[in-house]
Amino acid sequence: MSRLDDELRNAFKRQQPPADFTARVLERIARQPEPRPSLWQRLAALVEPPKMRWVAIGVTAALLIAIGAAQYSRLANRVVDDTGKLSQAVPTPEEKKAVVKPAEIDVVITPSSPAAIPKKHTLSLKRHQLAAARVEKAPEMKSEAEAAKDKLMLALSIASSTLNDAQKAVHDDGPKP
Amino acid sequence: MDNATGARLDDRIERSALGDQLAFEQIVTQHQGMVFSMACHFLRDRSLAEELAQEVFLSLHQNLHSIKSPEHLTFWLRKVTSHRCIDQSRRQKLRPTVSLEDVAEPAASASENDLFLSEMLRRVVDTLPEKARMVVILRYQEDLEPTEIARVLDMPLNTVKSHLRRSLSMLRDKLSRTLGEVTL
Repeated sequence: MSRLDDELRNAFKRQQPPADFTARVLERIARQPEPRPSLWQRLAALVEPPKMRWVAIGVTAALLIAIGAAQYSRLANRVVDDTGKLSQAVPTPEEKKAVVKPAEIDVVITPSSPAAIPKKHTLSLKRHQLAAARVEKAPEMKSEAEAAKDKLMLALSIASSTLNDAQKAVHDDGPKP
Repeated sequence: MDNATGARLDDRIERSALGDQLAFEQIVTQHQGMVFSMACHFLRDRSLAEELAQEVFLSLHQNLHSIKSPEHLTFWLRKVTSHRCIDQSRRQKLRPTVSLEDVAEPAASASENDLFLSEMLRRVVDTLPEKARMVVILRYQEDLEPTEIARVLDMPLNTVKSHLRRSLSMLRDKLSRTLGEVTL
């Protein structure tokens, strides 16, 4: 080791900062606003155990509601079928042929009345036919709609009670004063 | 660092990361000399060095969760301090624009005044480019091997070695011209 090395070590030996350096660092830290967590940190926080429970509950409730809504929507589609029959969600080819289209209604009606029927009258007639079909099948459809409504209410009440239980459990797990 | 000290520091890092202010205060106290000296030797301005050292510790406070061990903490502090010093110097053009030839020659011999020789060395090192200057500081203040310096400064080992070689040769040349009678 040369003398130059020794002299350099001596020249660059450590120096101490002012005595209040640590206090000033801590003061600056205290003044700093809380750092906003990044998107990844917020996503990671979602899967922490207590919050994970809420996520699971939320997903379950959303699924139950979605299933109920889908069931209700399927029954509602059957009610508005043009043929007046209670058809399936996906009609068979025969059922498709039997569906009366607006243009065909015009063809059927026009020969019986020599005067041309205005288009708005044709549409009005179609609405009347649909309404008549609904009235005809009303009791049957109503009972099915009631059943669907009951199922939906049951699903919602199950979801609600599950949420209540979970919330209670989370509160019980929380820090005691 | 012995095992007991390492374990204590490890515990402090863990507690600091969990928000223990006292543990963080102990970490600052333990490392402030290293961080402040690096900045002070590099910037040659105590108030700027203090400001920079404070910022390094603020940054440490925000990144405590990423510190894995006491050795990692020291490495992290050296790395962040080095890079911040170099950035600060480049931003503010702190490096003196005087050339090596313009550095004042000492009026007394080294044997008369060692402090004067130290100051002379610091002034000559101050004329080096930023990275070369930091290499010399890490080598002689922190006593790091060239491999460790290469890791801290993210530069190839051969570059570190050539910086050191060139810097020492320049220092030797300058000082032997000034203090001809002293063998360096």
